[in-house]
Amino acid sequence: MIPKRIIPVFLLKGSRFFKGTNFKEHIDVGDPLSQSMIYDAQGSEEIVVVDIEASAENRLIDTSLIAMIVKKCRLPIAAGGGIRNISDARKCFDAGADKIIVNSHVVNNPDLAKELAAEFGSQSVVVSIDVKKNTKGGHDVFTFSGTEKTNISIEYVIEKVIENCAGELLVTSIDNEGTMSGFDYGLYKKISDLVPVPLIASGGSGCYDHIVRLFNETGVDACGLGKMLFLRDYDIVRIKAYLKGKGIFVRDA
Amino acid sequence: MRVGLINGCLGNLGSVISAFEFYKYNIGIVTAPESLKDYDVLVLAGVGNFKTASEKLKKYNLWNFLNEEVVMNKKPILGICLGMQLFADVGYEGGETGGFGWIKGKVVKIEDNSVRVPHIGWNKVISDGDTLLFKGIKDEYFYFMHSYYFLPEDKDTVIATTRYGHTDIVSCVRKDNIMGVQFHPEKSQSVGLKLIHNFMTENK
Repeated sequence: MIPKRIIPVFLLKGSRFFKGTNFKEHIDVGDPLSQSMIYDAQGSEEIVVVDIEASAENRLIDTSLIAMIVKKCRLPIAAGGGIRNISDARKCFDAGADKIIVNSHVVNNPDLAKELAAEFGSQSVVVSIDVKKNTKGGHDVFTFSGTEKTNISIEYVIEKVIENCAGELLVTSIDNEGTMSGFDYGLYKKISDLVPVPLIASGGSGCYDHIVRLFNETGVDACGLGKMLFLRDYDIVRIKAYLKGKGIFVRDA
Repeated sequence: MRVGLINGCLGNLGSVISAFEFYKYNIGIVTAPESLKDYDVLVLAGVGNFKTASEKLKKYNLWNFLNEEVVMNKKPILGICLGMQLFADVGYEGGETGGFGWIKGKVVKIEDNSVRVPHIGWNKVISDGDTLLFKGIKDEYFYFMHSYYFLPEDKDTVIATTRYGHTDIVSCVRKDNIMGVQFHPEKSQSVGLKLIHNFMTENK
């Protein structure tokens, strides 16, 4: 087995990092470059950077920002926001992104994942899926940063994107995101066996034991962290030390 | 000493450039095939799929020039990830495609239901520790992201391996002036920089 990955998830609005609650009420949490350098120095496994307004505004994430981060950091960067086609993806790779993250445009058109994988290799294509619990106990998929309900189930989207060669999945619970009340453990238990590719869980982490529980109870490979890192007194070094003490396999920071 | 980074339009070269520049090495992107001879050391890197990459290197006429520099002129070359895989005779990603054939062997998919594929994340690289490339680097974690791996015929070319599920992935190969790593040193924080520095120190 390989070590579990701890991944700060940065949400961009233009040139600043933001953090919200349930995909709303965003507040400014800092400068992308300095924050990335901090988490690189602390030994996070990679960094996720997504412009959450790009798709709705029909534009691409600011690739000069990706280039700036890549120049100063020595860890993998997964970048997304508004990627509609191969040319958009290429701009992100040219800026230095190691992986691209696609969400709304792939949920609406799963063939896009296949085209991207054929061009760049499936290991470089991360599909991000945002979900909300429905009244029947299932999970519905939302696009455009949680603003549009799709009426399709998470199981269906997973099946489609795996068939279309997605290399990795980032699944975020809209209900839990930013609440610091813990992950949607049931969701990740339900989907980890459906997913043959690496799976990143995101949304809801608020303390050490949330992460311990996530890794102990579900088969996810990585966890995305937000508010806990940016607005509370936690850092990657101490998080890893705690996880290690609880018997979870992590890389020494 | 000039380092030539080969741009087969395979994508993210920025991180490789900044890693070499960290040690103040003079690195430039090779665009014109004729200019390959002006560089002392070559690096073949980038994301992509085996078939697409080999087609692009051929389309931009880099293929033959690279062969000449590496095979005839014995210029040192470091292949990173897909760059290393292209050293093989044949790859199967995107359909059966010929590689450079500099190191005999094939590039095949990781077939193992006990682990997730692609192999993405940090994994331990086991080397015998005394080769120049791994000087001061012993059983350290490097960053991997791949679904295919290189199976060289001649086991003497294998410098390091990495265990993933039931598979011993060949994570470093070497034959004379030709060196390749399956992981991404440019993305592997301080230990990755050290490996790049070792590569450059050896070829000074």
